[in-house]
Amino acid sequence: MSGTIFISGARLIDPASGRDVEGDLRVENGVIVEIAPDLSPHANDQIIEADGAVLSPALIDIGARAAEPGGAGIENLDTTLRAAAAAGVGTLVLSSSSGTGLTRPEDIDWISLRALQAPIRLLGAARTHTHAGEMAEIGLMLRAGAPMISDGGALIADTRFLRNLLSYASAFDAWVGLTPEEAALSAGTIAHESAMAIRLGLAARPGISERLGVERLAALAELTGARVMIERLTTAGGLEALGVARKRGLELAASAPLTHLLFNEVDMGALDPAYRLDPPLRSESDRQAMLAGIADGRIDLIVSDHTPVALEAKANPYSDAAPGSASLEALIPVLCTLDADGQLPLLAGLKALTSNPAELLGLPQGRLEEGAPADLVLFDPQAPNVYGKDGLESPAPSAFAGRRLQGRVLMSVVDGAIVFARPGFAE
Amino acid sequence: MGQGDYNYTFPHRGLIAASALNRVDLELIFDSARAHLSRNRTEDKKHPSLKGLTVINLFFEASTRTLASFEIAAKRLGADVVNFSAGNASLKKGESLADTAYTLAAMQPDLLVVRHPSPGAAAFFQSTTGISTINAGDGANEHPTQALLDLFTLTEHLGDIGGRRIAIVGDILHSRVARSNVALLSLMNADIRLCGPASLLPADADRWGASVFHSVEAAIEGCDAVMVLRLQRERMHSGLIPSAREYAAIYGLDHARLSLANQGCVVMHPGPMNRGIEITSALADDKDVSVILDQVEAGVAVRMAVLELLAGRGMQETRL
Repeated sequence: MSGTIFISGARLIDPASGRDVEGDLRVENGVIVEIAPDLSPHANDQIIEADGAVLSPALIDIGARAAEPGGAGIENLDTTLRAAAAAGVGTLVLSSSSGTGLTRPEDIDWISLRALQAPIRLLGAARTHTHAGEMAEIGLMLRAGAPMISDGGALIADTRFLRNLLSYASAFDAWVGLTPEEAALSAGTIAHESAMAIRLGLAARPGISERLGVERLAALAELTGARVMIERLTTAGGLEALGVARKRGLELAASAPLTHLLFNEVDMGALDPAYRLDPPLRSESDRQAMLAGIADGRIDLIVSDHTPVALEAKANPYSDAAPGSASLEALIPVLCTLDADGQLPLLAGLKALTSNPAELLGLPQGRLEEGAPADLVLFDPQAPNVYGKDGLESPAPSAFAGRRLQGRVLMSVVDGAIVFARPGFAE
Repeated sequence: MGQGDYNYTFPHRGLIAASALNRVDLELIFDSARAHLSRNRTEDKKHPSLKGLTVINLFFEASTRTLASFEIAAKRLGADVVNFSAGNASLKKGESLADTAYTLAAMQPDLLVVRHPSPGAAAFFQSTTGISTINAGDGANEHPTQALLDLFTLTEHLGDIGGRRIAIVGDILHSRVARSNVALLSLMNADIRLCGPASLLPADADRWGASVFHSVEAAIEGCDAVMVLRLQRERMHSGLIPSAREYAAIYGLDHARLSLANQGCVVMHPGPMNRGIEITSALADDKDVSVILDQVEAGVAVRMAVLELLAGRGMQETRL
């Protein structure tokens, strides 16, 4: 929390209400106090000339991994947090598979401790299990402040255990994020099953593996009454299965990873290890389905799926490279690029990264309205951006590296304080 | 009411399920148990109404307190008692249950007390041998004498429990104690609440005639009695709950949680307790609220009453 900030001449986008208008905004004591077309600054306001740049609620990413606790590797938590601030992320809910896993209440306490010094709001999801068939202390972790529970991408293959887990979790009324895959179909695969993957000789999983996964999770949600969030949905078939489950009246949520909104399996075609991702890149029709799902709200969330992989782990042939991409700083550029190409309206993209996650997790931020917390991101949606050319906070390998995108974060404000400003801006 | 005032003959051949009992049965059992309870506190505890009879305690599951309770009950009534228990070689030799039953029946016992991990085992023994059988626990199905001694203890402390709010907290899913208790408490029109982690509650528990709670604080509010169930050690690593630590923190009973209950609320536990897990030591040992040792004492008296009635040597036989 700091003094007062006056942002003038911005394109104000509030995804929750769908409002997209020119205007000014004033921040006082960490809260948005005024939004109007023609405000006058107060005497001591720090004045920011937006010059037509977009001002949106700061992003809420619930799918980034940090290398800590338990390891550091290429990127320690401070680096991840700096990258998030530079990306316009105001609230980072670390994946439960961060470091060695957020499996104990002590890990959530550690996050709370680190949050005290973090430039942005930092939370951590509670891991569902410690080992196969061993439930983690999810009740204690939720009490310690975890906003949700998640398998962190570690598929729970044992359906009986998953049933017990969901039953147990249902008493706490928290979202349980789960990986939608059929274990045996997906085990050991590194690509999406298609003519191309087969020609390249890659061990591939069929798209129906995800569909079966969604159907399984939906059936268990129905049986146990748990609130299931389908994490990192990437196929058209999976999305269709989600629609069928919702028609039965089930309360389900779903997220899609950023990489799969921009890339398809063809990007992987040269077997560049940068595109080794989990889940693997899918077909173009799957990518289109994801974009359509976000545009019409069937997919609630976009997640960065930021995964800092060590350089040496990526320096391998495609099939041996560690999966994952550093993606935090690509969030705004990808949204702007998809909007400019007419593939996904900016408003819909922002909604999946602001008001939707806020609503699902019951957070007060994520809205551009008077009285809301002053968590803001100011970005120029037109600025050309060859990803990584001008340097990034995250040193980890990225699937977006060198990609011609557009859109650049100019400034990030969290709790009324400027936590990031592009060099040369607002100084 | 003194002995001999009944115009009702205890109609049950054995005691397989608490759910088979009616309110008159309970009165009969409890009146007799009350007499045994006071005699048990004197120096001459013998009341040889079962003189000449043989009772076999057949325990296929390890047990200390229930076995001891039945043995003491039968011995105080003057019966000859033989115990077969899980450690016993004869129960481990792979003999079929039917053969075990026929073999024991051939020795002409008068009463069998059976504990077995399979639901229906006690009924099986009774129907196979034709000998009066007391179910001392058949899997997760029933443990009628535990429910009887629990109800007896409750009645001694609270009087009529009709309309009284009683919570059963813990692993309801695997608990025969809970099932038998729900049967008797429903019969007495108590306001029953079941509480535990959802993974340890039966999916249809709301149809047991009880309200179901996942929050122990909510469940205890306004209660006149709380029955705390034992968290079996094997549950802690079965993928049904995370850990003993989390169970204690979220579902364990302590003084703070008990303060949500009514004034005078009693705390019960069928034993053996995991102190510091389902109940704090301070609460278990608090003589003002804990009636756990009263339950144990009542257990012998209630089992004496049941043995007598099943042997046909209870009160109804001595009436004028």
